[in-house]
Amino acid sequence: MSADDESFHPLGEEWENDLEGMLDDTEYDTDLGMAMAEDAMRVTRGELSEADFHEKYHEEVLEEFGEDNRPTQEAYEKAQEEAKGTVGRMLSRFDGDGEEPRRDVMKKMGAGAAAVGLGAWATVDDGGQEAVAAQDEEDDESGAPEGGEGDVQWGMAIDLERCDGCLSCVTACSSENNLDQGVNWMYVLEFEDPGASSSTSRNRLVRPCQHCTDAPCEKVCPTTARHTRDSDGLVLTDYDVCIGCRYCQVACPYGVNYFQWDEPDISTDEIAEFHEDMDGDHMTTDDGYGSERWVDSRAPRGVMSKCTMCPTRQDGQMGDEMVGTTACEEACPPDAIQFGNMHNESSDPQKYADNPARGRTLAQINPPSADELEEDLEGADEDLESVLEAADLDEEELALMIAVQITGGDEMGDGDGDVADLENDVTEALAAIESHGLGLANQEVLAELDLADEPDLDEPADGDEEGVDVDDEDADADDEAEDEEGEDEEENDDDEEENGDDEEEEDEDDEAFEPDEEAAQFLLEQFAGTPASNFKLLEEQGTNPNIIYLGNEPGPQAEQTEPTGTGVNYEDISYERADGESVEAVDNRKDVLDEGTVGDAGVSL
Amino acid sequence: MSTKSPTEADILRPIQNVSKTYFIMFAVAALALGAFLIGWAYQLQQGLVVTGLSDWGSGGGVTWGLYIGAFIWWVGIAHGGIILSAAVRLLGMDRYMPVARLAELLTLAGLSAAGFYILVHMGRPDRMVTSVLGHYHITVNNSPLVWDVTVITAYFVLTATYLALTIRYDVTRLRDQLPDRFDPVYDGLTLGYSEKEDQIIDRMVWWVALAIIIMAPLLLHGGVIPWLFAVLPNYPGWFGAVQGPQFLTIALTSAISGVILLSAAFRWAYDWDHIITDDIFRGLLLWLGFFCLLFLWLQLQQLTAGSFHPTVDHGAATASKFSHPLYVGPILGVLGVLGFIFATTIRPSLFTKLRAMIAGVIVLTATLLEKLYFVLSGFWYPTFSIYEATPGDYFPSAIEISSLLGTIGLVVLFFLAVAKVIPVVELHAIEHLRGDHGHGHEPEHEPVEESTKQPEVEA
Repeated sequence: MSADDESFHPLGEEWENDLEGMLDDTEYDTDLGMAMAEDAMRVTRGELSEADFHEKYHEEVLEEFGEDNRPTQEAYEKAQEEAKGTVGRMLSRFDGDGEEPRRDVMKKMGAGAAAVGLGAWATVDDGGQEAVAAQDEEDDESGAPEGGEGDVQWGMAIDLERCDGCLSCVTACSSENNLDQGVNWMYVLEFEDPGASSSTSRNRLVRPCQHCTDAPCEKVCPTTARHTRDSDGLVLTDYDVCIGCRYCQVACPYGVNYFQWDEPDISTDEIAEFHEDMDGDHMTTDDGYGSERWVDSRAPRGVMSKCTMCPTRQDGQMGDEMVGTTACEEACPPDAIQFGNMHNESSDPQKYADNPARGRTLAQINPPSADELEEDLEGADEDLESVLEAADLDEEELALMIAVQITGGDEMGDGDGDVADLENDVTEALAAIESHGLGLANQEVLAELDLADEPDLDEPADGDEEGVDVDDEDADADDEAEDEEGEDEEENDDDEEENGDDEEEEDEDDEAFEPDEEAAQFLLEQFAGTPASNFKLLEEQGTNPNIIYLGNEPGPQAEQTEPTGTGVNYEDISYERADGESVEAVDNRKDVLDEGTVGDAGVSL
Repeated sequence: MSTKSPTEADILRPIQNVSKTYFIMFAVAALALGAFLIGWAYQLQQGLVVTGLSDWGSGGGVTWGLYIGAFIWWVGIAHGGIILSAAVRLLGMDRYMPVARLAELLTLAGLSAAGFYILVHMGRPDRMVTSVLGHYHITVNNSPLVWDVTVITAYFVLTATYLALTIRYDVTRLRDQLPDRFDPVYDGLTLGYSEKEDQIIDRMVWWVALAIIIMAPLLLHGGVIPWLFAVLPNYPGWFGAVQGPQFLTIALTSAISGVILLSAAFRWAYDWDHIITDDIFRGLLLWLGFFCLLFLWLQLQQLTAGSFHPTVDHGAATASKFSHPLYVGPILGVLGVLGFIFATTIRPSLFTKLRAMIAGVIVLTATLLEKLYFVLSGFWYPTFSIYEATPGDYFPSAIEISSLLGTIGLVVLFFLAVAKVIPVVELHAIEHLRGDHGHGHEPEHEPVEESTKQPEVEA
């Protein structure tokens, strides 16, 4: 969250500009809306009373909307419950049309919770408005936890071939959760696999908890401390309930559990203090049924811990932009970890695993922003070469962007994850190029980019780009006529179209020339490669893990090699904890624990 | 062997006398228990880091070790004890009546030691009541650990009831010779007693014995205890149907060994040669041989299935058994005992009480080590055996080792204490010995025949 821009809105200038844009799109007065919004924020901060706020804008509102149905002092309680999110809804309230059904999430926020977006109706002493500002999107796209009823299952796609073994995920996790030395909730290892066929990619495994749908650890727990959250499928440990029998660790086939054998190095007070400005303490969070459970951060002495997939992030404690992220994912330089809702086809992990070459390409190309492009392309010619030169793109970059779009199909930009964001960037960039005049659906252009066959030389290949003088009326008329004539006629239509119906001709071209999805896919795979395999770990154990791996699957004879670190060795890295202490990483926890063993004989059975 | 007639005075001797040896034994046992209690207190203060345990996987260790191995061992001894006692009553194996109560007491002592281990093993024993009982209605449907706690509790209650019922007869009849200082105990034990109940109690005890015999293989050491391990598919050394029968044989071998040692100790201490006769030892030894045979037979099943054409993980788990001293040692030990017992049936003169005791010690050691290996090898050879650079190193810490001595001390203390309060040999047994054989009867000959005959019939 940016604190240094001059916006009045807690979500910052960009958000504010977006909202201003939305207001611009309405028929109502943007300036009035913005002024009111700013004062609404003052109301939430307690700098302005609601009565004054009402008074201040009453006349202007009446003038603009013809009525003022804003909540007054009397209607305040009701309004709190019905706090509305978007500007559109806010405006519709002014119109007296306040009958939209309340969203579940707003209900759950309760009467004291904050209002959303510009329509900031909030109690004065509640500072939580920012946490739910983008709730709309969350609700619709990711089916955020509050949506409930099994529509969210957090999980990951991990691209083992993109992992460079830097162990950034290991340190990020240990740091975020304030783990003791050797407690590697996230563990990365390299292995030899004598039984496997030779493969070009590395034998590497990134191993967080698999957050199994049928978690054996949960099944054997004698206390229900190990549980799966109904709201989002995370498998967690209630640190207040666990008796430390370690049966969960025994039952887990993956070896992801870490018992807290002694007093943890860092106190809960220190952790809470460190997260003071957060909306929570990074330890306790709502279990979805209204009660707080201590499930996050390092475990207290005598109970079990493991990778949590950051429930306090998913619950919005760290701010809304952190929902749908994990510490390891964020820290991964090559974006090898994709975190998201496994029940959503358009989530990051699903999109990535569905077409890894495309996912990898998206993670690697940096599409220029549409604004930048428009600026760069100003005055440049419309042919491919000039566009590339002006935009400082090479042919491959453009081809990859187009390939991403072609392979994206109808789902391009669906979802709310990073992949969708990147897709949108690509779409916008390509749109900017097209609006400059370079026809990216044109066969000749695509052929030049290796995305299509060379066009048939008999057909006139020019004209498309140049002939942009479209006669709409004619086109419409022709369309209708042609519809009546039927398809048989189409092949003989060429001359007619040549004579001035460019739009029709483009349609015709589109029909005759489908973008070559195979070529696009081939290009992506050539650029980013395809993973050796797509697998879930130990699926035969019936655990239904929620991590999809891309890369070499460790066979039954796979054995970890030493040193355990892959790109980097464990002993060479360290992480910082909330108490400011820097801790050296250790790959074999036994080395640390042996120090506490009474009468350690230094031998092993 | 004495030809004396067993009398009430014989079985009252432990209660009415106390010797220097008694005090020395008491002191040694108390010291062993005390040392462990101090160790446990330190563990409670520091956490389980004082053990040699660690996390399996990237933790580079084993998460269950001697505590769990010893837990199963004690439970096995306990379960075997009550099965033995119930069989005596149910099947009318009157010959073993003099040791039946010792076996029952061994069950209570063994279960106490095992229950203690559950607490010792836990990271947060203080939460046992709130966390386990509080969610019992949910977890009893899933968690083998909860099944365990349930069944162990049920068995403790069953055994205690069984003992309490049979003891009323003895205490009422011997009351005059029992020390006055325990009067409240005796009053409690014989509350509402009337002679009319004797026959009813007899039938009740028979039914309880039946319940125990039925439940033992189904639920106990043939059930929930092995299921702790046998239901986990990620450990080829644990997973599978053979663990139930295998555990049951181990329980019975260790329990019989325990009863042999206990009987020898009491016979030695109180001159009970005419009550716990050589004949009983011969009989127990034969039973021990029979269960040793079953024990080895089921091990053979596992070795064969695990090495003929196994899956990769199963093959690795089995291969270790052929070389690891913690497995090979116990198997050879049991095999040796079996060989000895077999030899005594061919040449009865090979039998001595001392050799029977040595056999008992060997079997108890073997079952303990086998249990320890069983637990550890799970973590050493899991299906997901990728963590080669962080293998499961383990050696029990001083505190863990002292727990073993401590719980043995606990069991010894239990017997030393109980022997001062109630007769550890049933009055029924004395009456039976007198009634059956009469004064001056030569008991050596006939029982020897029986002892060689009985196991074959049972087998």
